[in-house]
Amino acid sequence: MRMLNLTVNGRVHDVPVDDNELLLDVLRTKVGCTSVREGCGVGACGACTVLVDGRSVSSCLALAVRHDGAEIVTADGLPGDDAVVEAFVECGAMQCGYCIPGFVLMTHELLAENPQPDAEQIAAHLEGNICRCGTYPEICAAVTSAAARGARL
Amino acid sequence: MTETALREGGEEPAVGARWQRAAARGKVRGTTKYVADLPVPPCAQVAVYRSTRPHARILAVDVTQAAALPGVQAVVTGQDLFALLGERLLTGPAFADQPALAYDRVRYVGEPVAAVLARDLATARAAVDLIAVEYEDLEPVYDVETALKGEFFVHDVLRPSSVFGDLSHLRGKRDTNVCYEYNLRTGDVDAVPTDGVTTVSGEFWSPPVAHVPIELPCTTAWVEDDRLEILTTTQTPSYVRQAVADLLDLPLNKVRVRTSVLGGSFGSKMYDRLEPLAAALAWSQQTAVRLVATREEAFLLTTRHGAGVTSSMSADADGNIVAATADVAYDTGAFADVGPRITAKSGMVAAGPYRVENAWIRSRCIYTNKPSAGPFRGFGVPQVTWSHESLVDELARELGEDPAEFRRRHLLREGDEAPMGTVMHSADFVGCLDAVTDEIGWTTPYEKGEGRWRRGRGVAVGMKAVLTPTIANAVIQLNQDGSATLMISTVDMGQGSDTIMPQIVAEVLHLDEGSVRVVAADTDTTPYDTITAGSRSTYHTGNAVRAAAEKMRDKLVDLAAQRLGVAASDCKVTSGGVMSTTAQETVSISDLMHGHFGARGTTLTAEANFTTSWQPYDHETGRSRQVTEHWFAGAVAVEILVDTMTGRVKVEQLAVAGDVGRAINPTLVEQQLTGAAIMGIGHALFDELVFDQGQIVNGTLLDYQLPSVRDVPAKLTAHVIESAHRTGPFGAKGVGETGILAIAPAIANAVRDAVGVRITRLPLSPERVLEAMTEAGVS
Repeated sequence: MRMLNLTVNGRVHDVPVDDNELLLDVLRTKVGCTSVREGCGVGACGACTVLVDGRSVSSCLALAVRHDGAEIVTADGLPGDDAVVEAFVECGAMQCGYCIPGFVLMTHELLAENPQPDAEQIAAHLEGNICRCGTYPEICAAVTSAAARGARL
Repeated sequence: MTETALREGGEEPAVGARWQRAAARGKVRGTTKYVADLPVPPCAQVAVYRSTRPHARILAVDVTQAAALPGVQAVVTGQDLFALLGERLLTGPAFADQPALAYDRVRYVGEPVAAVLARDLATARAAVDLIAVEYEDLEPVYDVETALKGEFFVHDVLRPSSVFGDLSHLRGKRDTNVCYEYNLRTGDVDAVPTDGVTTVSGEFWSPPVAHVPIELPCTTAWVEDDRLEILTTTQTPSYVRQAVADLLDLPLNKVRVRTSVLGGSFGSKMYDRLEPLAAALAWSQQTAVRLVATREEAFLLTTRHGAGVTSSMSADADGNIVAATADVAYDTGAFADVGPRITAKSGMVAAGPYRVENAWIRSRCIYTNKPSAGPFRGFGVPQVTWSHESLVDELARELGEDPAEFRRRHLLREGDEAPMGTVMHSADFVGCLDAVTDEIGWTTPYEKGEGRWRRGRGVAVGMKAVLTPTIANAVIQLNQDGSATLMISTVDMGQGSDTIMPQIVAEVLHLDEGSVRVVAADTDTTPYDTITAGSRSTYHTGNAVRAAAEKMRDKLVDLAAQRLGVAASDCKVTSGGVMSTTAQETVSISDLMHGHFGARGTTLTAEANFTTSWQPYDHETGRSRQVTEHWFAGAVAVEILVDTMTGRVKVEQLAVAGDVGRAINPTLVEQQLTGAAIMGIGHALFDELVFDQGQIVNGTLLDYQLPSVRDVPAKLTAHVIESAHRTGPFGAKGVGETGILAIAPAIANAVRDAVGVRITRLPLSPERVLEAMTEAGVS
């Protein structure tokens, strides 16, 4: 057990963790971010996506101890008027909703690198995330809409 | 799509409006709580020892080392539970054939044999590795062909569980692997003259596939006072309460089953999943337990039935379809689950949505030593649609007719009697077919191409009956401030019931968007509902909700009449409250209730039941005048490209249509149609559970492929057809499954069009397409 220093959504947390604990479990059970979810446990579905220092990470594959001092953003910590969130809501880009926070964070990562992505670039960036309800058309529309709004974290 | 007229006074109607999905923002931000996110008491974490043998007698289970591991609270075996519960340990929606833990025999690789309760999951899993089981192998039955030989049996004796009305005719059986057989005999296929008759036939195969909702199954159970509380990912809370009460011999009011919105399900979170085991462990150990399936375990909990269909379709010299036959075999794995229902409901439509005078169908549900198959979006119907929509297409081609036009000529119309004897109503197959063929420009010429990529078009039509008979209930609590709380046991899994049920209440009571909240299913407070499945909720629960809202409207009218001293017939509910024409006065709900009760914060309740009835099908002929309450009708048209170098199929355009009677919320209907289409593209092109000696070999998301954003056609459109149902709430019916029924055959028919090969085995993987082209000499 060692103390881990994490900044999650702008708030500092010092949490005791075991060496083999996953970032996913630490965020869910010790920080309280239940928007971060396990879907596959092998980094193949994207439901556990978080932004670590601005980069998307599958938290189900990430050992927590390797992220001491990291700045982490989860979907539930996005600002109240976040443009990506607004775009997803307005485009109806959710059905069961379980996977959507992962898509929202991937969209933030994409738009930070490429503020005006085309359809191919959107698909290339989101192809690792699975929405089993098949909400992809609405999700792609939401990304385009967020880009038009000038989404910035 | 019909546009709904504004009501009197310019008020927007609620039914037919594109209300935003309930909890939209919470779902996007991730603040919506799913079952695993909700608070529960401190729990023992449970890991499960699973059988390593497909079929074996359990000789001994040694848990000594596991129990001695520090941090382990208990190790429970099937024998322990059997000693406590006897045959009650066996549960299931059709036959009581599923033990929460295997106690005498294991029937598939992965069947639970023992459970470890520990302080944390890592300890529980470490202890599982210390359990040693001694087996005596029995002859395994890996496939339906072996099962039908009847040399070895997966179960020696079958006992009906007698839970559901449509399965009340099941009887005990022994020494057979066929747990159910449905036969349809209409006309006489053998008496059809062969002169000038064209017959096409085939052997069709749909492999088992996995549901893979991204939310993993999670069940927590604990004892509070002398009651059992269960918080679980289920789409059948009322069933789970009954199953657990039976298991533990408790009165229904001592079992509380709660759920939350689900992170998808598609049929996977139904009936007996983790719940019987969690309940048995919590009750026997008098402690709190938490079971969460890993993704690999979730693959073992349930699958879609692999199904083989040997079938034929014949037309006479005038091009009339004169006969259809189908011999259908559903591989249900180690447990029947709801396979008997699937077998009957799919068998009865295996001749397709066509006017066919002579039909012979046999549909059987067959045990094998594999993980259990259960309901999956479509309830077995996609597997028979794969057969009849391939056959009818081939028949049209044999006759030199256009496949869409040939279907159009033979499709069942309003008032026609379907092959199983039920008269059609509110099933506009032709309207659906017209919509999708118009959308893709079916009649406009196109170049198939001669180079590497070949273009093709295909259509297919789907037909499914809703589960009948079933039961739904609704309780509305109207609050003094004019907001309402709706208590139903329908579970929102993404289909949108938490959005459309409030729209129905709001339509009747003239309430605003956002003013009606649905209580998450909780058997302590929300009333019985058969299942949230089979696309039945909009019609059934919707009717109960509408009736409850109408009773509430009558109560409000009576209160207003009393208060204003006018006749009830003079009062009506409007958006501003209850209005009296005589008194020229409108009283708001808030004032009306405050005045009546003399207090703020009071409530009025109204409740209603909606139960459907049927005429059970005849057991010799499979026919019934009313086999179902209503029909689902859908159609799909696609334009695809086939890569002749690799065999890869790329869906360029897909149009999907469904007759929903009336769209309560068109946006959500369209999402159900396109979402089902995307899932169906996976089933058509790559989705497949692969087994080796009864063991799943691709049961992880590294190996199991699911549709991604890359698989969405460049053009994907949903078409809402509305032929109002005479007893639907505002004419409405469900839609969750309609879109998926005909996707695979539409794509296969387009492959046939593009490169001239008829493929009868799913999925249409590049290897399979290439192999078929090579065999046919297509370059």
